[in-house]
Amino acid sequence: MGSMLGDWPSFDPLNFSQLRPSDPSSPSRMTPVTYCPTHDRCQPPPNQVIASESRNILLRNMYKRTEDKLRSKRPASEILITDQGLKHPRTSTAESPF
Amino acid sequence: MSIWNYVVTAHKPTNVTHSCVGNFTGPQELNLIIAKCTRIEIHLLTPQGLQPMLDVPVYGRIATLELFRPHGETHDLLFIATERYKFCVLQWDPEAAEVVTRAMGDVSDRIGRPTDNGQIGIIDPDCRLIGLHLYDGLFKVIPFDNKGQLKEAFNIRLEELQVLDIKFLYGCAKPTIVVLYQDNKDARHIKTYEVALKDKDFVEGPWSQNNLDNGADLLIPVPPPLCGVLIIGEETIVYCSATAFKAIPIRPSITRAYGRVDADGSRYLLGDHNGLLHLLVINHEKEKVTGLKIELLGETSIASTISYLDNAFVYIGSSYGDSQLIKLNLQPDPKGSYVEVLERYVNLGPIVDFCVVDLERQGQGQVVTCSGAYKDGSLRIVRNGIGINEQASVELQGIKGMWSLRSATDDPYDTFLVVSFISETRILAMNLEDELEETEIEGFCSEAQTLFCHDAVFNQLVQVTSISVRLVSSTSRELRHEWFAPAGFSVNVATANATQVLLATGGGHLVFLEIGDGVLTEVKHAQLEYDISCLDINPIGENPNHSHIAAVGMWTDISVRIFSLPDLNLITKEHLGGEIIPRSVLLCSFEGVSYLLCALGDGHLLNFVLNMNTGELTDRKKVSLGTQPITLRTFSSKNATHVFAASDRPTVIYSSNKKLLYSNVNLREVSYMCPFNSAAFPDSLAIAREGELTIGTIDDIQKLHIRTIQLGEHARRICHQEQTRTFAICSLKYNQSSTEDAEMHFVRLIDDQTFEFISSYPLDQYEYACSILSCSFSDDSNVYYCVGTAYVMPEENEPTKGRILVFIVEDGKLQLIAEKETKGAVYSLNAFNGKLLAAINQKIQLYKWMLRDDGTHELQSECGHHGHILALYVQTRGDFIVVGDLMKSISLLIYKHEEGAIEERARDYNANWMSAVEILDDDIYLGAENNFNLFTVRKNSEGATDEERGRLEVAGEYHLGEFVNRFRHGSLVMRLPDSDVGQIPTVIFGTVNGVIGVIASLPLEQYTFLEKLQATLRKVIKGVGGLSHEQWRSFCNEKKTVESKNFLDGDLIESFLDLSRNRMEEISKAMTVPVEELMKRVEELTRLH
Repeated sequence: MGSMLGDWPSFDPLNFSQLRPSDPSSPSRMTPVTYCPTHDRCQPPPNQVIASESRNILLRNMYKRTEDKLRSKRPASEILITDQGLKHPRTSTAESPF
Repeated sequence: MSIWNYVVTAHKPTNVTHSCVGNFTGPQELNLIIAKCTRIEIHLLTPQGLQPMLDVPVYGRIATLELFRPHGETHDLLFIATERYKFCVLQWDPEAAEVVTRAMGDVSDRIGRPTDNGQIGIIDPDCRLIGLHLYDGLFKVIPFDNKGQLKEAFNIRLEELQVLDIKFLYGCAKPTIVVLYQDNKDARHIKTYEVALKDKDFVEGPWSQNNLDNGADLLIPVPPPLCGVLIIGEETIVYCSATAFKAIPIRPSITRAYGRVDADGSRYLLGDHNGLLHLLVINHEKEKVTGLKIELLGETSIASTISYLDNAFVYIGSSYGDSQLIKLNLQPDPKGSYVEVLERYVNLGPIVDFCVVDLERQGQGQVVTCSGAYKDGSLRIVRNGIGINEQASVELQGIKGMWSLRSATDDPYDTFLVVSFISETRILAMNLEDELEETEIEGFCSEAQTLFCHDAVFNQLVQVTSISVRLVSSTSRELRHEWFAPAGFSVNVATANATQVLLATGGGHLVFLEIGDGVLTEVKHAQLEYDISCLDINPIGENPNHSHIAAVGMWTDISVRIFSLPDLNLITKEHLGGEIIPRSVLLCSFEGVSYLLCALGDGHLLNFVLNMNTGELTDRKKVSLGTQPITLRTFSSKNATHVFAASDRPTVIYSSNKKLLYSNVNLREVSYMCPFNSAAFPDSLAIAREGELTIGTIDDIQKLHIRTIQLGEHARRICHQEQTRTFAICSLKYNQSSTEDAEMHFVRLIDDQTFEFISSYPLDQYEYACSILSCSFSDDSNVYYCVGTAYVMPEENEPTKGRILVFIVEDGKLQLIAEKETKGAVYSLNAFNGKLLAAINQKIQLYKWMLRDDGTHELQSECGHHGHILALYVQTRGDFIVVGDLMKSISLLIYKHEEGAIEERARDYNANWMSAVEILDDDIYLGAENNFNLFTVRKNSEGATDEERGRLEVAGEYHLGEFVNRFRHGSLVMRLPDSDVGQIPTVIFGTVNGVIGVIASLPLEQYTFLEKLQATLRKVIKGVGGLSHEQWRSFCNEKKTVESKNFLDGDLIESFLDLSRNRMEEISKAMTVPVEELMKRVEELTRLH
């Protein structure tokens, strides 16, 4: 047990070295100052107001899939130059209701 | 009361929900940061212990709190997410000593089912992203860019729907989370995922582990070099990583909190549901885990959070009991515990019930709460103001002044108490038997009223009467010198210190004397244009024996002036305004700031900051303390100086964080006070009031006094019975020692003075007490305690059986007089027209108290009303019954005498899940619901149609951010009928976080004024983290979010008093109301609590 309990980590060996414990029957009073900020830096920098991506996960995945498809097909389209116009992915998916 | 309500906190939340340790205020400073639901406290670790730095209000309920350090930062940043889906990253600016917002945002989704097990917010140890689990099936990512700036957040689909915990793993090339979840067969597993930031998706992680402990609930990520994760179950603890799996059995327990001890993650403190603290050790060799070991260290409060601080000191934050600072000792104490509790910090939460009583019968309300839970249950007696503990008292009429004197200059204690009357002076002294008896100081004039007395240097005493100043030896008690007022003039007012005397005679003559060894020397005389009403030369400069300035209050031009001493040159003149003369002036110094206090004849007090070098008076403030003239006196308590303002509303003025505070003294009227520090009664005060002289000690100087009665069991209901001077509580005791977690329910009788259990009544097995009431019935003069119970059977969804028990207190014992079986849980009991009104499951039931032939009584059902989901909270007024339903908001019933029936009159058709209701007045009812909102509804008696009359219209809505368990009419402060605040009716509430709050109904004019002030303050006082006050106070539940109405945030309004003068002036300009007027009006409101 002794080995488990020894050697407690220490950031500053002086911390708590002069602690005078209060009477345990009467609770300690810790009344820090209440913070009442009036400065303008409570507002974050304009680029650090974070919002969530507006696109739904499902839409995002569909876009991604179409993009992936497009990417994987591009080499093929370079070989088969003719008649590929019809096989372009529909870019209007965003408008179609899901 | 009215629909215009003012909500203010009398006691701030004390339930500690989160804590963390890091270098927040500076690279070399170690801080403990504590979250108390809606507030954050920042503490600094020092050689003397924890030093409180700042209490930061947050406009949200804190869901997660984490310190982290992005690359390149020298100190830690604080991440906070709130329950209403806002988050912010805060940074400390050491130069300005301000909390600065680095980033903030809204992470809510429009669609999504909020998680059942609470929100999770975690930060990748390599600071690549913040992860949030807020809705089932979704994991939200806020990525960091390489400069540590946050980027747009996105969701990732998380397959596991019943998530219990998520943590980031250490030492992974890609950010990796480990998810503890339950499948649809209730088995628990863990799984890892890598977060692919670019693809905004999860990639299957390096490992997983199926079929864990059925009670596994908590993950602890282990830092490098070991890495991996600890899975804390109810019967086992498992270490798990890609390469290792180690498990140990533990004694069955639910681990509520953990704290990492070593940076390398080899030791952890675990706190369980019984408050036992264990040390968990990971044994390892060459960075390989070889096994786990767990040891019991000892007992603490039931921890909700554990933070290892430094040098074996640990902070235990608790939701169920007091939080603690403990030390881990190397050797066990005689009881085998390694834990030493060094400090405890009061926590009133959860306040499950409370009552307002006047135990001292002084017209001063006290709140007695059922606080805490499980083994940490307690009663807390919360009292506003400062009490005087009477040591001795004697009847003495007509006291006109009092001073204490020492028998030698260097004597630490006072010996004499000089009491002055209209035409004589009497001297009291402590005799050898430590009794106060009359004595004589031969050199004093006893046939005249004493105007002032003081100890002087060279073992002398000074007495000032209307004709002379006498200098008397304190050892021989003989007259040594006397200075006479010029013929035709009499001394009106006088003051003195150890070396100086200043007095004023009629005609505006001001005379300054100096005290030498056996000689009084007239040093200076000045003639002022008007008569002088009061004087002071209390030394507040460097020399404790003499003053270089004098304060003088004037008749006629109603001014206060500062003169230099000894030459009596006018330095400053300040007109007080108005027509009321100053009656008492006092120079005093608090926390290194010098003040001039000036009390007027109408109970108002002005205070100024006094520049000791220039004599300049600034920062004028005016407060109303009472309605009668005030006399000011300083006194010392616990090595600090305070001022006692004696008047019809005695007040102690003290300073905290360089702000003057006013605390009521719990005495009705005090005409004079002087400190009397005798050997027999050290640190005491002599108080003249209502024909009595009292010697007493004074409480600690603070606003709220809390006394704790530890019960060791969980009190859930309380009520007071004036006639028997007892409390009755319903409590439950958990039996930890037996193999099964058995619980026993009791009705306990408690003496209202000693707070000792004097009688107990055990309830049946499975029987819970749900309600308690002290009442009497028609045609029976006895008072009874009625207890409503429920039999809670494990197989039933709702109780189908309960009892109403009627007790009488006889010879200090609870005697069961009658009992009545009910068809469900008796959630509420009310006295109603000499009968008993019970809420039993869906029904409201009225019982008559019937006399049987044999002389005994029984409860007999008279009538009832069906139509609730569960009628949980009932209040009555006359024949009206207001019911708070489990999920159907508030309804209004009426009892019809002729028909002997209860009928519904009106209801609120909103689906509010109620937690408390109260009747404000005939037409307005107040409710609290489970989304932490308050609302008022109004009866619409003038409605044109039945439909309109049958509808309770919503009058006010407000987000309190606290779960209210109980409302009670009453006040924490002594109500004086002739003061402005005395006219304002109030309701007190108690919450889960330990908040005691006050709801005050204001007249419309005052409400409108304060509403404007609140709107102005919103622009000046900024929300920490960029959070909006307006949004925070908006009424918000699952169905709607609407702006608050007809409720004002008193906490915001009263923080006006904390603003700097410049900011106050800014507000004053915007409001077109003078600063002084604003301050006075706000200061008055602070006297409501």
